[in-house]
Amino acid sequence: MPSTRRRLLAASALFGLAIPATARTLKEALPWSPNEAYPPERVVPGPWVFFTAGEAATVEAIADRVIPADELGPGGKEAGCAVFIDRQLAGPYGTSAWLYMRPPFARGTPSQGLQDEDPPAVQYRKGLGALTSYCTGRYGGRRFEALTPQQQDEVLTAMEKGEAKDPGADLRGFFEQLLNNMTEGFFADPIYGGNKDMCGWRLLGFPGTRYDYREVIAAPNQKYTLPPVALTGRPEWMR
Amino acid sequence: MRALLLLALLLAAPRAMADSADITKILRGRYLATVGDCIACHTGPNGQYAGGRGIETPFGLINAPNLTPDSDTGIGQWSEADFARAMHEGVRPNGDRLYPAFPYPWYTKVTREDTDAIFAFLRTLPAVRNTVDRDTLPFPFSVRTVMRGWNLLFFSPGYYEPRADRSAEWNRGAYLVEGLGHCSACHTARNALGGDSSAAWQGGPLQGWFAPNLTNDARQGVGNWSVEDIVAYLRTGANARSRASGPMAEVVGYSTSLMNEADLRAIAVYLKDLPAAAPTPPAALATSDPAMRTGEALYVDNCMACHRRDGQGVEGIFPILAGSQVVQQPGTDTLMRIIISGVRSVATDGAPTSPGMPAFGWRLNDQQVADVVTYIRNSWGNQAPAASAADATRLRGLVAAAPH
Repeated sequence: MPSTRRRLLAASALFGLAIPATARTLKEALPWSPNEAYPPERVVPGPWVFFTAGEAATVEAIADRVIPADELGPGGKEAGCAVFIDRQLAGPYGTSAWLYMRPPFARGTPSQGLQDEDPPAVQYRKGLGALTSYCTGRYGGRRFEALTPQQQDEVLTAMEKGEAKDPGADLRGFFEQLLNNMTEGFFADPIYGGNKDMCGWRLLGFPGTRYDYREVIAAPNQKYTLPPVALTGRPEWMR
Repeated sequence: MRALLLLALLLAAPRAMADSADITKILRGRYLATVGDCIACHTGPNGQYAGGRGIETPFGLINAPNLTPDSDTGIGQWSEADFARAMHEGVRPNGDRLYPAFPYPWYTKVTREDTDAIFAFLRTLPAVRNTVDRDTLPFPFSVRTVMRGWNLLFFSPGYYEPRADRSAEWNRGAYLVEGLGHCSACHTARNALGGDSSAAWQGGPLQGWFAPNLTNDARQGVGNWSVEDIVAYLRTGANARSRASGPMAEVVGYSTSLMNEADLRAIAVYLKDLPAAAPTPPAALATSDPAMRTGEALYVDNCMACHRRDGQGVEGIFPILAGSQVVQQPGTDTLMRIIISGVRSVATDGAPTSPGMPAFGWRLNDQQVADVVTYIRNSWGNQAPAASAADATRLRGLVAAAPH
């Protein structure tokens, strides 16, 4: 079996090279230490961290058109979508701190996600500026949040279709960005500032941060009755 | 080359041992030192048996001395008789009284033959020069003659006396449990002066844990444990219902997991003969009680995935909470500490997995910790007093200061 052996040796050598120098060898029990936890920082509603007051008003108005309040629950503004986006833009997401951000920046396909030189925080600043310029130019000096709901829908539809143009930014791309982040804000754990009182999860029947469903699976075709639970709990945890 | 080395070893070994006369005695001494769990306290930063570990007592921290044969800082100048006197009477060769953090009130039961064997073993340790500050207690405990009075009140010296009406196995178990094992040092509550309380073997608070009742009470003690359950627990740190953690993890890791089967069985037989004794628990709280309702929501969301909705856990991995003695002790320190800080059970050769529970202190506030503890103490047939948020606050402070 010399060829197999050679292949094995070659593969081992490659594998050996691939292991980073910082790898640790664990012996006996796995590492464990008391009080160990890495909870995300809890977002508390309060002053805007990234948005200006004007930007925040625009984003909140957009949130309420993308997710309007209705008999099923609160709208995007009350759900905290703008708070969620504000805190995300102020953090590592906003600066693309988690992405490779060196040139050259090639234009990617839509399925390749964000390929732009501008990180999300810059995209929002430019996009909201362009949106304001588009609205004030078209609606007699009124900003997006001052428009009627019908006019707001007109603007958003035009953005989505690529018909709304402004030299300040690609408004179609910005619409996609907004829609994605609104969705994230509406469905992410409430600890990040959106999905207030798990309103997004209640709509879907999503169970939240549970991780063991054996007892549910063992009883098929029965209604799932447990309420959703967030990282920070649910109202029944307090008395 | 290897053969040469082996030959050299074979030639050297008997010569090195020739002075210490009796290798059987040394090996027996090593085993007995393991039974006494000497290493747990007498090991510090400078090596095994070299002392320096701070032992928490209600009166302050006491540093365990150096047991290696170093002549200045260890017990190198002690004789066999000196060592036997320390074990039997709690007195150093110069007449200084030892504190009962050193469990001489139990070791006094150990035969002279056995203390001599332990001493012979200690003489074979490499001498480590390690000066230990032995005067750390505040006044009046810093005055060692105070211990004369304590001894009058709480110490009755005397070798173990076998009972003729019991089996040899029972007597061996009693000798180990009441002597070297010094089990009741933790499993009998201390009174305000550090002596035995009247509630023998009914457990008590211990360094932010609660040492459980070891009597045959079915709810709080080992009444529902078989001899085999106890042997498995001591040998591997785990049995079908429970796992050793906290201070008991040390006892299992350093001591009982290294003991032989016959001795473990003897211990179990003796413990199974302790008459049931425990405070009567209050009636279980109604499920409609506000603490129970909140506790149930917390349990369902945080605990159920592993410990199961019915508190049955998963045999051999996640402890059974229904009917658990640890859950139903009078004090809640162990439960609260485990919830706040998480816990890991001991790893032994017999049960190497050492499953751990993560910390929930970041997620639950003190009232929530108390409510979920109240819930598990009063569900599935369990009965125990409700827990208080004030206790959770105290525990949280304790584990923040000294997480272990």
